[in-house]
Amino acid sequence: MSQNPYQPINGEIVDIIDESPTIKTFVVVPEGAFRFETGQFVELTLPGVGEAPFTPSSSPADTEKMEITIMKAGLVTDLLHNCDKGQKVGIRGPYGNGYPLADFVGKEVYIVGGGVGLAPIRSLFLTLVDRIKDFKSVVCRFGAKTPDDFIYKNTLFGSWQKIDGVKIKLTVDGADGDWSGNVGVVTTILKKDDVDIKNAVVVVCGPPIMMKYATMKLLEFGFQAENIYLSMEKNMSCGVGKCGHCMIGKYYVCKDGPVFAYGQIKEYPDIWD
Amino acid sequence: MKTVFVGELKTLLDAVAGETDLYVPKRSGDYYIYSKYDPSAGAAVEFNNIRTCTPIKDFLFPVCELAATSPQPLEPKEIKPFAVFGLKDCDLRSIEILDKVFAEEEFQDPFYVKRRESMFIISSDCSQPGESCFCNLFDGQVFAQKGFDLNVSQARDGFIIEAGSEKGEDFIEKHSRLFTDVPEMLLAERDKNRAEAQKQLEQNNAEYQFDTPIKEVMENSTDSEVFDVEAKNCVECQACTRICPTCHCFYLYDTRQKDYFAKMKMWDSCMRQAYAAVAGGANPNKVLGDRIKHRLMHKFVYFLDRYGLDMCVGCGRCVDAGVGGMDIRQVLKKLSEELKDKDKKQAKVAK
Repeated sequence: MSQNPYQPINGEIVDIIDESPTIKTFVVVPEGAFRFETGQFVELTLPGVGEAPFTPSSSPADTEKMEITIMKAGLVTDLLHNCDKGQKVGIRGPYGNGYPLADFVGKEVYIVGGGVGLAPIRSLFLTLVDRIKDFKSVVCRFGAKTPDDFIYKNTLFGSWQKIDGVKIKLTVDGADGDWSGNVGVVTTILKKDDVDIKNAVVVVCGPPIMMKYATMKLLEFGFQAENIYLSMEKNMSCGVGKCGHCMIGKYYVCKDGPVFAYGQIKEYPDIWD
Repeated sequence: MKTVFVGELKTLLDAVAGETDLYVPKRSGDYYIYSKYDPSAGAAVEFNNIRTCTPIKDFLFPVCELAATSPQPLEPKEIKPFAVFGLKDCDLRSIEILDKVFAEEEFQDPFYVKRRESMFIISSDCSQPGESCFCNLFDGQVFAQKGFDLNVSQARDGFIIEAGSEKGEDFIEKHSRLFTDVPEMLLAERDKNRAEAQKQLEQNNAEYQFDTPIKEVMENSTDSEVFDVEAKNCVECQACTRICPTCHCFYLYDTRQKDYFAKMKMWDSCMRQAYAAVAGGANPNKVLGDRIKHRLMHKFVYFLDRYGLDMCVGCGRCVDAGVGGMDIRQVLKKLSEELKDKDKKQAKVAK
């Protein structure tokens, strides 16, 4: 029998972590080992309600459980936010291409993230620091609306900052008195000398508007379009390159992405919309 | 391949229906639609001289079907063999296109594949191409070129049956007592009829000859206003995508049944406003003109880039169906002429 690509495997939400007023991380245990590469995505089904695509935020090294960080943004995510531990879910995937880690080896990895875009980045980050010696350095520039909107606060403000080979700078769009860091959108903390441009790759993930302006700035700095990796958000439904909703030009984001080098897709109109 | 002759179409169809369910075109007003063949019925069997109104994808990719269940997973069920009569060359080529998506890719759609493997295809010649037919612009012919099990051509006093596959050869072999040899003269007549019908088709479309390949026209027309102009008459009925034999967008949605959960797979349309929208509201194709452009780019550029085929067979069903009266040939003609003018202007400037 040919495999049915539309059939999810069963899973259960075993823990729910509040990350910000609108974002929660769901710890999901699939029935049986579930392997994925960092940057690939899964389709998460809330049975009887609907299905939506998410990139897991946990390390692929953990095949027993998977963490999925979800912002309230529509019907399925609103209802997921109302769920309790023990909720049964369905999981399909993993789908698409993740980050091309082999091409990152020996280089500086420059990661630009914003808002819930830190979810795929967390998975990548954990994967990179597991083998940090393979990379020259990991340089992160993350932004959020307010300090409270940062997700993964405990590790982001704490242990991650202390890892050898990792440099993290944070910014917020607006803050009250307690915030001592930078205030301004994430592009305001991108500096030309953050990394050695000729020997670096960039990963950008966040809201479309942020990805657009960050990419423009990185190009101005002199980064090659081929070295800027974007995690594209489109309406991935089937996950297997058939249903048509997630097309960018001839590409199906679900199958040929969701990670694209900017150079691959820059010719197509409306990639940021 | 084996070629034989039969006096009555009913003889052939009864033999097929004796083995499997058979679907045949039935006249409904100005059009043909498919219905199940009933060998006992006294009514005359009709040879459809033009494609049916409904697309062949109906048989392979139904409007709505169960795709998955939970907590118990769904086993795609076996499909009883069935036969369909009266497919035209455009229909066969539409199946070739759907195969690329659902059968030949890394992820096979088991529901499609099972139906496809169970389908016995009996095509037939187009003796009267319609006003809206334009398959000749996309390498189409008035007779089946490949992809059929049997093909039927109407001839004087009967019908010529040609096998196009091993399954078809076996069928002719098995029922050889029903058939006779084809007189040479009738084969020559078949060629003449085909040439005449092809000529008619070409005359109907004489005004749509493109000097520049359509792909090139489309690629150079992304900033054209033609799409927005077309959008003014489009009422977003989505009929063009539903009736198109090659359009294959679908969406998956979840439902709650009495004692299980179901994931359904249902036809969708890229003409729908929220088609590409994501949660949170971003939508690359908010504007109708952009959606029309995307649809044509998919058909004539993106699909070709990916699979090496145009995603249009020129069947003209969309021309007949669209409430707003959009004729895809006219749109391509306008774009082609616009590009020609642009090139001329540029040449003038260069001088």
